[in-house]
Amino acid sequence: MGSDKNMKILIVDDFATMRKVIKNLLRQIGYQDVTEAEDGIHALKELKTQKIDFVISDWNMPNMTGIELLRAVRADSELSSLPFLMVTAESLKENVVEAVKAGVSNYIVKPFTAEVLNEKIKKIIEKQ
Amino acid sequence: MECDSLIKLIDGMASEFLFLETREIDVPTAGKLLNNLDDIIKEADALEIGQLKRVAGGLSCLLEKIVLESIEDKEAGFNILEKGISLLQEIGDSFRNTGGYEGDIDGFMGSIAALTGDHITDDVTEASKEELQPSEKAKVRDESLLRDFIIESLEYIDEIETNTLNLEQEPENKDHINAIFRPFHSIKGVSAFLNLEQIRDLAHDLETLLDQARNDELSMTSQVIDVVLDGADALKAMITRLRDDLEGGVPGPLEIDISALRKRIKAAQQRISDTEETKKLGEILVEDGAVTQESLEEGLKAAQAEPSKKIGEILIDKGKVSPKQVSQALRKQSNRAMDTATIRVDVKKLDDLIDMVGELVITQSMIRQNPIIQSNVDRKLAKDISRLSSITSELQRTSTSLRMVPIKQTFQRMSRLVRDLSRKVGKSVGVVMEGEDTDIDKNMVDEIYNPLVHMVRNAVDHGIESGKERIKSGKPEKGLVQLKAYHRGSNIVIEISDDGKGLDRDKLLEKAIENGIINSSHGLSDQEIYKLIFHPGLSTAKEITDVSGRGVGMDVVKQAVEKLSGKIEINSVCGKGTSIMTFFPLTMAIIDGITVRVGKERYIIPTIAIKQLLRPPRESYNNVAGRGEMINVMGDLMPLVRLHKFFGIECEHKNPWEAIVAVIEGEDRSKCVMVDEIIGEEEVVIKSLGEGLKDIKGISSGAILGDGNVGLILDPEGLFELSEM
Repeated sequence: MGSDKNMKILIVDDFATMRKVIKNLLRQIGYQDVTEAEDGIHALKELKTQKIDFVISDWNMPNMTGIELLRAVRADSELSSLPFLMVTAESLKENVVEAVKAGVSNYIVKPFTAEVLNEKIKKIIEKQ
Repeated sequence: MECDSLIKLIDGMASEFLFLETREIDVPTAGKLLNNLDDIIKEADALEIGQLKRVAGGLSCLLEKIVLESIEDKEAGFNILEKGISLLQEIGDSFRNTGGYEGDIDGFMGSIAALTGDHITDDVTEASKEELQPSEKAKVRDESLLRDFIIESLEYIDEIETNTLNLEQEPENKDHINAIFRPFHSIKGVSAFLNLEQIRDLAHDLETLLDQARNDELSMTSQVIDVVLDGADALKAMITRLRDDLEGGVPGPLEIDISALRKRIKAAQQRISDTEETKKLGEILVEDGAVTQESLEEGLKAAQAEPSKKIGEILIDKGKVSPKQVSQALRKQSNRAMDTATIRVDVKKLDDLIDMVGELVITQSMIRQNPIIQSNVDRKLAKDISRLSSITSELQRTSTSLRMVPIKQTFQRMSRLVRDLSRKVGKSVGVVMEGEDTDIDKNMVDEIYNPLVHMVRNAVDHGIESGKERIKSGKPEKGLVQLKAYHRGSNIVIEISDDGKGLDRDKLLEKAIENGIINSSHGLSDQEIYKLIFHPGLSTAKEITDVSGRGVGMDVVKQAVEKLSGKIEINSVCGKGTSIMTFFPLTMAIIDGITVRVGKERYIIPTIAIKQLLRPPRESYNNVAGRGEMINVMGDLMPLVRLHKFFGIECEHKNPWEAIVAVIEGEDRSKCVMVDEIIGEEEVVIKSLGEGLKDIKGISSGAILGDGNVGLILDPEGLFELSEM
């Protein structure tokens, strides 16, 4: 699936350094086309204005959290099937289960390596 | 039949399960199944089919474990799920047909427990962490990331401080707790990636503490807030060390001892408050509908009538709600969604841009004043040139505004300072801020910090009386420090006032006379007397305390303010308080100046330093034996300074009554500086003279004037020193 590397990924996190960390990891595994948003509200704006193929979002953000973003995406007829990877700090059971029920594509626990990230992304794309 | 919809739900789930491509449950599938099971459980609950509910519950639990990757034997998990779904169908069918189910589900439940049993203690965190243990490779020390992390974290920590102080004002406000929780959480997240274990651990502890507070397991007492503030300080210290280390600075241990602090955090966590009980009470109140919209509005009205009390307090006092309810209401208040997108830009780039724009403005002005252009008759060219100049000045205005930041952060640091200081000296002092959105050049922010700190210290330490004294003189026990900022012309005015005892005019005079600063109080206005505190070595504090005093007086503040081309004024009412106003230029890139000519040279005198411009009458000129040339300006004899003497140039007028003198204020004296002509007043862009010409006395920097000529900006104090040599 060579063309997958060309997909546009949206990273959502309020901490700029964290976005950069994820961006670097993505670059390591061959994803170059990355765009960023600092919270759910801005992410939604991005999703509405450009074609995004994949979302990697943090859970904890001001204004609009990751789970709220996920729910908004799933409720939007145009975005409902968008691959959505949730980043959580610890796999707090309630958080993960809440995200799973809300229709998250997968979740990943901080800190993670490029390999684990790659695996998660691949797993999600294969199912699409 | 009643259970038709239930059977439909179960069948729907079963067919979904049947069409799975692999014998593996991925996350989205698990999500769907979990939602199905939730619906089934609800329905079964309504129909009181206990067995069905139990099986569905068991399956939910199993699925959660699968999602959390805490089940090793995935195949077995899938098999049980398969079996469970058939069992659900079986029970459902049996209920539809016979109204009951005779089979045994214990065996099946046992098989779920056997598979998940080891993990049933909810210890999933550990299991998943194990699975996702990062490899060493990912933890490459990436310098650019580290730098970003340092800058961003330090910003976040400043925010933590602010929000902690807000929280202290409104301990029930969940928004404040969240706002503190989040930065710790983010710092932890990134530091884990960057292998900064100590930072991660501390941030983690603090995050956990705040998480408890968020969940009402802990109330934010001032002790807890202290721990949080100390934690933020320690984080800041560690990150600062990291920065120093990165810059190849002071080699020192990166690690600092945080074990004591971590113990304190742990101890704070143990002190689980009794909010649990109140919370339950609150919930009952809500459920019972005890708290209605009316009573809330009633409380709001009462709060308006009694501004010193918060709405929450009043509602609680009235017994309408519990603190918990108030906080929930507060949370629901719309999160002010900041809708302005921002980007982060390196300050260096910004400085370069502003510099270049400065050059552009000058070049533009040089072109405009070029004789060829001046004698131009082409209307189009004239129009274009005037358009060019309006664009460039707009560009200059906009680019300068890029570097402007609100004074808020500085004020908040002051507010923290007041908090710490007042504790140290055992006084109760509140802070009120006004105009904290007033903009100031980012480069000025650091410069004005020290003088402001000193003034705030003075206010808390010397200005505000002890609680007992205050009560005795009929004031509220809690003192007040007011920080106020506003723009006036091209200056930002920062006022620091306190409602303390004010300056003791008589004591000041007495001391000043004693120290030989003045001879008598004759003819001195109150203003002038108060200004005496800017004299070196004059401090009215009876004893030197830990907080201020220590020989560093207001003279140092005045010097620091003047170094920044600022001005300082003081107002005081004995017994009522003191207010110190400082005027700073908005930016260090531009100053308001008066351009003067001496011979063929042009100089710029900072407007703020000029008291008066005049052509002195002949009779006001004196050559006093032993004191040199003096000019009598409205009764005051001031030394005359002939500029041309110091800069080795020729001047046009030899006699002061033919020339112009500018009365200039230095640190503690005024002098008359003689110039040939006043050319005009303009805003000039300050240009550094470069390393080689850095320390020329009497000249602070250069500027390129509108006509393209270079002018030198005079430094009054340096000039005075020159004249006294």
